[in-house]
Amino acid sequence: MTQKTVQTTDATQPEVLRQHAEQQYAHELAALAEADSHPRPPRWNLSPRAVLTYLLGGMAGDTEITPKYVGERRLMEIAVATLATDRALLLIGVPGTAKSWVSEHLAAAISGDSTLLVQGTAGTDEQAIRYGWNYARLLAEGPSEAALVESPVMHAMREGKIARLEELTRVQSDVQDTLITVLSEKTLPVPELNTEVQAVRGFNLIATANNRDKGVNELSSALKRRFNTVVLPVPDSLEDELSIVIRRVDALGRSLGLPEVPPALDELRRVVTVFRELRSGVTEDGKTKLKSPSGSLSVAEAISVAVGGLTLAAHFGDGELTSRDIAASLVGAVVKDPVQDQQVWNEYLETAIKKREGWKEFYLACREVS
Amino acid sequence: MTLHLLPIRHHGPGSARSVLTALEALAPATLLVEGPPDADPLIPFLAHQGTVPPVAVLAHVHLSPEQSVFYPLAGFSPEWVAIRWALERGVPVGFMDLPAAVTLAQEPSPLASQGPLPEVEGQAPAEPPATDAEAAPNPVRADPLALLAQAAGYSDFERWWDALVESRGEGIFGAVNEVMAALREEDEGHTSERDLLREAQMREIIRAALKRVGQTGGDVAVVCGAWHAPALTPEMLEREKKADPVRLKGLPKVKTSLTVTPWTHGRLTQASGYGAGITSPGWYAHLFRTTAHVSESWLTRSARLLREKGLDASSAQVIDATRLADALAALRGRSLAGLDELTDATQAVFAWDSDTPLRLLSEQLFVGEVLGSVPAEVPAVPLAQDLAATLKTLRLKQEATIREISLDLREDAGLNKSQLFHRLNLLGIPWARESYASGTGTFKEEWTLRWEPEYAVRLIEASRFGNTLVRAANTAAISRARRADLAELSKLLEVTRLSGLPDAARFTLQKLDERAASADTPALLDALPPLARLARYGDVRSREGDDPRPVFRTLTARAAAGLPNAAHALKDDAAQDLQKQVAEADRAVRLLDDAEATAEWVLALHALDAEGTAPLLRGDVVARLRDRSLLDDDTVRGRLGAALAPGQDVPTVAAWLDGFLGEGGVTLLHDSAALGLLDDWVVALDEEQFGEVLPALRRSLSRISPPERRRLGEDLRGLERETASAEVNEELGMLAVAIGLRMLGVGE
Repeated sequence: MTQKTVQTTDATQPEVLRQHAEQQYAHELAALAEADSHPRPPRWNLSPRAVLTYLLGGMAGDTEITPKYVGERRLMEIAVATLATDRALLLIGVPGTAKSWVSEHLAAAISGDSTLLVQGTAGTDEQAIRYGWNYARLLAEGPSEAALVESPVMHAMREGKIARLEELTRVQSDVQDTLITVLSEKTLPVPELNTEVQAVRGFNLIATANNRDKGVNELSSALKRRFNTVVLPVPDSLEDELSIVIRRVDALGRSLGLPEVPPALDELRRVVTVFRELRSGVTEDGKTKLKSPSGSLSVAEAISVAVGGLTLAAHFGDGELTSRDIAASLVGAVVKDPVQDQQVWNEYLETAIKKREGWKEFYLACREVS
Repeated sequence: MTLHLLPIRHHGPGSARSVLTALEALAPATLLVEGPPDADPLIPFLAHQGTVPPVAVLAHVHLSPEQSVFYPLAGFSPEWVAIRWALERGVPVGFMDLPAAVTLAQEPSPLASQGPLPEVEGQAPAEPPATDAEAAPNPVRADPLALLAQAAGYSDFERWWDALVESRGEGIFGAVNEVMAALREEDEGHTSERDLLREAQMREIIRAALKRVGQTGGDVAVVCGAWHAPALTPEMLEREKKADPVRLKGLPKVKTSLTVTPWTHGRLTQASGYGAGITSPGWYAHLFRTTAHVSESWLTRSARLLREKGLDASSAQVIDATRLADALAALRGRSLAGLDELTDATQAVFAWDSDTPLRLLSEQLFVGEVLGSVPAEVPAVPLAQDLAATLKTLRLKQEATIREISLDLREDAGLNKSQLFHRLNLLGIPWARESYASGTGTFKEEWTLRWEPEYAVRLIEASRFGNTLVRAANTAAISRARRADLAELSKLLEVTRLSGLPDAARFTLQKLDERAASADTPALLDALPPLARLARYGDVRSREGDDPRPVFRTLTARAAAGLPNAAHALKDDAAQDLQKQVAEADRAVRLLDDAEATAEWVLALHALDAEGTAPLLRGDVVARLRDRSLLDDDTVRGRLGAALAPGQDVPTVAAWLDGFLGEGGVTLLHDSAALGLLDDWVVALDEEQFGEVLPALRRSLSRISPPERRRLGEDLRGLERETASAEVNEELGMLAVAIGLRMLGVGE
């Protein structure tokens, strides 16, 4: 259903488990807006170039902008350029490739508001995308503007902001298609009141979809062609991925209040290496081809394996991240299907890991748990 | 009498258009184009009706075609445009550069300098040639233009040039000349030794041309790579007047043959290894043909091609893509959308989440694959010359009638012919077709020969792979191996072995190793026999690191890992296929007799000998393990008992027996111990049990041919006799002993 997310109280309030992007990075956005000299599309808080800087990192005046997305610049350029045209943006990728992350930051940078969000689920209905009614009022006063409950999409149209729709492909096809009018005619009719809400300039929509869901609720071609697609890939290089993992593990560990465990770079590197190799179906040195397991092995999962290992080490181990701590959660992350994946995993252990220099302890730990 | 310099970018369509406009305006009396002057006699062929670009001027060392230099010309190359312009108007046109004879003499033998991929003959009419390997450490010296482009905010030099020259249109030559002069002033060392020589030669030729037109008073136009322009100005001509002849004196030369060959857009790409290659010849051809609405028509062409392939691509999407490309260009600070932006827009609008559309477009649009053609009067391509020479040595003739020959591979002549035929087949010239050779042994081959006229054309097409049969066949095999799946790779491996192409065999082997991970078990099993034959009979082993055995081991290991799963719950016909594959693979493992591979394989056989394996395969495996003495008789008896236990359905039992008895009952025929085991087991059955097993037994045994069944019967009776005689009656025996002793002449 609609998540008219509770308008979060105060940006400085530290008790919130997770802050919105526009709150957490408010100072960066402000600095960018100040330094920004390029033309801004109507109702954009920043120029497209400044939005790019916000996403990819850089400098705004004296303020350092942290990179939000580590990866190909090209993709972010396409995403931002798309939002500046009247086409909607669809971010596709396997789970854990920062689709929602990017969409949140895009909305925050462009509209200063990342909360106009509809979470797509199998139960999402038309009301969540168009509008609903305050039934008490509807019964008491009959249909009126006051009885109408706006969806985030309608709100965004009225205000000229960016609306977000998460997991578009989880939503049933007939509900998806309500978007067609919104995206092509840029209007949302309200026949009950014999009126309509026309989108003002600046409105656009970012949807995310998961390509593991392919075929579940295939988008109709009419809807498809109203989106520009950007496929977010898994990180290119080991170093990129490792730096993402380290940064996130560190942040997560702190927010979970884990006891301090020195992050063992070697072990994290191993986790990332294993994930990358199995995902791409070839060892990092390119010499041995491998089978890939059924899971998606995303960066997000690598992060949670690492956090799991750290938790084990902190609470049960001797306070140092070892192969054994990692192995337990790693095997669980890789072997999703007990028959197929187990075979893949064993083959991987035997062909790639067993003979690798300095991996002996890790190999033995993995053998033990698998 | 004036000298007009037209500095261009090789294969730049914008340059080509500018050159054409400039030539129209200047109407020079003589035209000089960068290229080998010893190819001047070939220039008239370029004007021939039958010459369609892309073509390449090809120079190779006489009698040694693998040492060669290509000078490719596409329809959008400024050089081509200029030459055609001049020839149509009867303006004298000549090449100016070092002669190919000198270039080839300086080249180290390409064969020595090249790895297993003989792709890179292309020595361009070289574009900014600062990428000398020796100069590599200093990036400024190595590629100053790339740095300049980076400074301008472009990812690479090509894009920058595109934006500046190709997009800005006319009147750019002066500016280009100045930029290059500035660049060269920075550091004389930017220009390599070889380039200094080339420029000296260019100046010499320009001086000669100026002298020639001097009497009539016409102009001389010079089309050259932008980099060289500052070295060819009138001032430089004057300054270096004395020094040039000295520089050029006594350069080594070799005897060369020159010709014009058809070329392809694919071979113009950087990916093909061509030095001055371009990323997307299709895009350049498009830029050359299209002057207005470049993005729109490019995207429309994309959409139409996609529609032809059955993918959705509407006009509305073309509009969207155009707008996205423009928005991207604006975001990236460029005035016009380039190929980068168009590709990104195509991907975002048409491709959804797959890369199929772009892949489909790659060949037809981005490369814009075209095969040029040359008239028949042009001297033959080196590959044809090489074939002619080979045929002469082997005393073979190209005849249009059918001829059959049989070859003995133990003789050199036979082996060479066989390899020639295999190589030609690899090149798509099926002059000789192998027919079934009767008789035993692997040294005999029967071939049917018939030359068709179109093979001549195919030979020219094949010449893009290389100039000699060996190199062309190698390259053809390698390029096929790049795309092949595992089954095809193992066939290819066999072909490369038969064709005597160790380089290609090595490459195929490597690919085979790579593909193995994604292949299913049957394909892996299929790959084992050719691999074993290669390891056993091929000559690949002779070189360090080329041993196919490690690959064989990996493949065996992978096949072994997947075999138990593959043999699970199979339909009858699938089980039969797999049984054949297992048999072949088993033979391969035995042939190679490699301890490690055998160990893996045996493990897999043991794993197959388990509940759930298709009965046919299980029986087969039990026989194989027994044969290798890995199962003792008691275990085999146990297996027999379990498999044939009464109460199971007949087809299952029969299938098991089929597997155990082998094709046509070979196990029983050749292995009396196995027969004995079966016999023991049958004899041990009681009447009722026997009645139940009988249908299955009968069904399996009836597959054995009547005479052999008869022999089996006799063998069985023999076994009975043996068993009977085993009960010794000493009294009766003693009677015979005396006679026996007498016959042997003992104790008389």
